[in-house]
Amino acid sequence: MSEKKVILRAENLTKRYGDKEVLKNASFSIREGELKILIGPSGGGKSTLLQCINFLVRPEAGRVWLDGREVLYHRKRELYAYRQKVGMIFQDFNLFDHLTAVGNVEIALIHVRGMDREEARTRASSELERVGLREHMEKYPAQLSGGQKQRVSIARALAMDPVVMLLDEPTSALDPELISEVLSVIRDLRANGMTMIMSTHQIGFAGELADEILFMEDGVIVETGSPKKLFSQAECQRTREFFLKIVEIYGESR
Amino acid sequence: MGSMTESLAAIREALPYLLHGSLVTVGLVIFAMALGLVIGTLLAVGQVYGSEWVRRVVLVYVWFFRGVPLLVLLFLFYFGLFTLFRINISAFTASVFVLGLISAAYQSQILRGAILSLPEGQMKAARAMGMSETQCILLIILPQAFRLSVPGWSNEYSIVLKDTAVSYALGVMEVMARAHFVASRTYEHLPLYFTAGVIFLVLTYLGTKALRIVEERVRIPGYANR
Repeated sequence: MSEKKVILRAENLTKRYGDKEVLKNASFSIREGELKILIGPSGGGKSTLLQCINFLVRPEAGRVWLDGREVLYHRKRELYAYRQKVGMIFQDFNLFDHLTAVGNVEIALIHVRGMDREEARTRASSELERVGLREHMEKYPAQLSGGQKQRVSIARALAMDPVVMLLDEPTSALDPELISEVLSVIRDLRANGMTMIMSTHQIGFAGELADEILFMEDGVIVETGSPKKLFSQAECQRTREFFLKIVEIYGESR
Repeated sequence: MGSMTESLAAIREALPYLLHGSLVTVGLVIFAMALGLVIGTLLAVGQVYGSEWVRRVVLVYVWFFRGVPLLVLLFLFYFGLFTLFRINISAFTASVFVLGLISAAYQSQILRGAILSLPEGQMKAARAMGMSETQCILLIILPQAFRLSVPGWSNEYSIVLKDTAVSYALGVMEVMARAHFVASRTYEHLPLYFTAGVIFLVLTYLGTKALRIVEERVRIPGYANR
């Protein structure tokens, strides 16, 4: 089987808040269609890493390449163009509260990608339909459940035709019975070949679908490997302890 | 009893004249608040998102216009600055200008509070989609912050409304000036100032009522009473 090409590569990303280094020389790369999952204790730097990738958080050092081209993020225009290609999903959805579901999806199509309103509406509707929200297009975020909100935010990201998606604990703020509806959307994305980097505590989901798991702690990517390897025969003592504990809490399967 | 009849007669006679003045008062309030809204928005955005330097300018502005009494500002601009720079404008325009600059200081703080009360994630999500800083502010932040500001404006409206009476000192023929004008001729002080007061109360009521309706209209569905 031929190797897929590397879509995104990050090298030595470092972030400090005052004296505290929250991200230390994090490097990784991801190939087309892969799903990489970040796992590790809260405060371990998963969220910071994801937000450094699209420069929502400015790293003190480090470089990022998209499709083999370095992202010159100090140039505003280049940064804005790059962010359009990198979709982001947040733990607490961050839907625009003053816009309906369809309004949330179309606003960037109109104002960032320059589509006319009709075209944007058509595209936004079809994205919402894809995540099963046809009936809820005209509702405002406050009228939607958590799972529905997260699906709107996924539709919003997908409408921009991203080449890679960053998902920052997409199910952590959801009631248990709403988690599966979001995970199933992510599963579909995976099946359709979307490249994704996701942080999560859903160990079962990670085991089932991840091409690779990155274990992060104290701002360091401690160990990287297939789910099978990390779950049962991690090299690092700390990784083993963590997985033992998390499997105990969340269970082996979903 | 005779004086009661006389008072009523005085009110009846002066009422059309005073009501005409209330149009001037309403004009002052609307133009001043509109000017205050435009400048206040710029100040608020500058204070929240501007550089250190911009922030300092805003702070000095707010400190100045909140700190100096209205009457002093009216005289300072109308007799002082406008005369010095040979700017020839009517007392009405000058009053709108000064009331607007003061209201801008207060409105900027109402709006600033609203902006800061929005969750940080709103801006983050907008930036993550490739919006520029300006787009984030115009499309995402301000539409929400304005909605949250309406109750604050209601308060600001009633203050500006009362402040318009001071423009009488420049000779603007609003309600207070007209009441004073008639009272000093007829010596019917009590009924005339009483009527002026009632007119202000009615205007306060109507204005806050109107803003209530605006608040209802722009409310985001799903948020009960935000």
